[in-house]
Amino acid sequence: MSPVTATALWVLPLLIAWLWRPRQAASPSAWILLITFGALGAWALWFGLYAHPGEPAGFAFWKPTVLYWTLAAIMTLVPLLGWGYPVKIILGAYFALSNREWRWLNRGFATVYTILGGVNLLVASKASYKDWDGFKFSCMMNLLIIVLFRLNFVWLPILADVSIYLYRRATAAYRYLSSLF
Amino acid sequence: MPSVERKPENIVRLIWPGGRSEQVTLDATGKSGGAGEIFSINSKPGFVAKIYHATTSQAHLASYWSKIQWMVDNKPALPQVPAEYQDIVQLAWPEALILRQSRFVGFAMQKIAFDRTLELDYLLNRRQAADEGFDADYGRLVTVSFNLASIINCLHDKRIAIVDLKPMNVKVYKAELYVSILDCDGFHIATDEFRSDAPQVTPEYLAPEFHDKAVAHPEAQDRFALATIIFRLLNYGIHPFTGVGSDHRHYPPELAGRIKQGLYPYGKVAHKSVRKVPASVHETFPDSLRDLFDRAFASSGYSRPSAHEWVGALAIYASKHSGQMSPCSKGHLQFSGRPCPSCMRDELIHGAEVRRRSFLAQVQTAPARTLKYVKQTLRQTHSSPFQAALAQAQFTLVQLAPPAPISTRNAIALEILWISGLLITYWWTR
Repeated sequence: MSPVTATALWVLPLLIAWLWRPRQAASPSAWILLITFGALGAWALWFGLYAHPGEPAGFAFWKPTVLYWTLAAIMTLVPLLGWGYPVKIILGAYFALSNREWRWLNRGFATVYTILGGVNLLVASKASYKDWDGFKFSCMMNLLIIVLFRLNFVWLPILADVSIYLYRRATAAYRYLSSLF
Repeated sequence: MPSVERKPENIVRLIWPGGRSEQVTLDATGKSGGAGEIFSINSKPGFVAKIYHATTSQAHLASYWSKIQWMVDNKPALPQVPAEYQDIVQLAWPEALILRQSRFVGFAMQKIAFDRTLELDYLLNRRQAADEGFDADYGRLVTVSFNLASIINCLHDKRIAIVDLKPMNVKVYKAELYVSILDCDGFHIATDEFRSDAPQVTPEYLAPEFHDKAVAHPEAQDRFALATIIFRLLNYGIHPFTGVGSDHRHYPPELAGRIKQGLYPYGKVAHKSVRKVPASVHETFPDSLRDLFDRAFASSGYSRPSAHEWVGALAIYASKHSGQMSPCSKGHLQFSGRPCPSCMRDELIHGAEVRRRSFLAQVQTAPARTLKYVKQTLRQTHSSPFQAALAQAQFTLVQLAPPAPISTRNAIALEILWISGLLITYWWTR
């Protein structure tokens, strides 16, 4: 797959997202995360597809730490500025939790990300490459838990809505076609 | 009379020790082994003849001839048996050469009464032994072990070794408990005046140092095989190198490999890499026997206990008057001062069976019990106060938030952004 095709495949859904975006005002924490991930995504796109010979030497060592500590910093600073809790965006606000519970959840995520960033540096410098690889893989398993929550509470309801919409359209089309004959 | 008996090749000449000869006729019995075929001897009901197969090479026949000739002239002294048991054959030893037209073809040996005996192999499985009419209690098993060790001790005194010693080559008199060793023409002989090797071995009974090489010390090999047979006799047929690999180390699937690596899990000091099988009762054996087993399986060569040592150790348990074997509360014979092996075995086997049945019953009745529990909860008719309290308890669960007031398109747009964030996270953490 050429870099241009890969970019197009990514940008196209983003265009759809732009067209279908909610018109309500987004919270400041959502904007901060959007800007941060925009920057991180641009870096990934450039160094993953276009830059030769790839990302700066030795950066692979720091990569997970940069992400974890960036997220940890956002999760620590944004609530201090009174801009809400970023964990609501990352985890999804499908649980009716009190502000106090969100605050602690946000602190928990910030702590975990801080620790993961530090442990990554420790493992990358002290352990073998294979062990470091295993550590990074295990960190990705954390994402799986978040994805499973998202799948259950957000994607399946959306899928149900889409299925009902398509069923109604198909039924209407069938009725229309039946009326023609 | 079958026509085969009238064939000229069935008329042979027996040459007894001292040179006396007589002409006899052989009758086919239909029994045949790897080396030869067994015939009954017409005028000698107490003897049978082993005639080597016609395909045996001349060189092998010549070797057999000299070996059998020596054996006929040098029958070893065997353990004394009481006068009323004089018809017991403890060794299928060659008693006479058999010549056909002056050519050596086999030998005559005393006939073992097969109706009074059973293979020692049967004693390794209590049910098989019972089917053959043998009540394998510990007193009888110790006596059989003692008698086997006694014969081997006599052979070793004469510098004769069995080498291919295994349960299939040993017969046990069901009532008298004496043993009879077969295939004597395969023994190893190393006297000053005569020497003959024994190339045949069985890997499951072969000492670790002789795997993949010739048996350099036949008596050491017999010591290992004897200890293995005694261990199996006393431990419900469990081979001393049968175990359960206890770590990720490669555990050989076949016994020969385990013997070779010395993976003996029944020692007084536990082996690091292998565990005993749960059904083993070796812990009920007296220390004197356990020490001998440990020496037999955890050492090598002549440091293994000799047959003479086994005779000494087993004698007190084989004697009814020593008081070293006593009945347990259920009437099984046990080593005095030790737990009863039969009761322990019953507990291990039947206890596991009871637990298995109980578990299956619980699984099978689970749906009915669940339904009953639900009904009782709905009707609030729990008889147990604890269950009643549990059924009425209020649990604080996390409540789901009301759906966000956005359209499906808006939701899809947000999820596209979220998934993009997920992919970016993946790139940064991979």
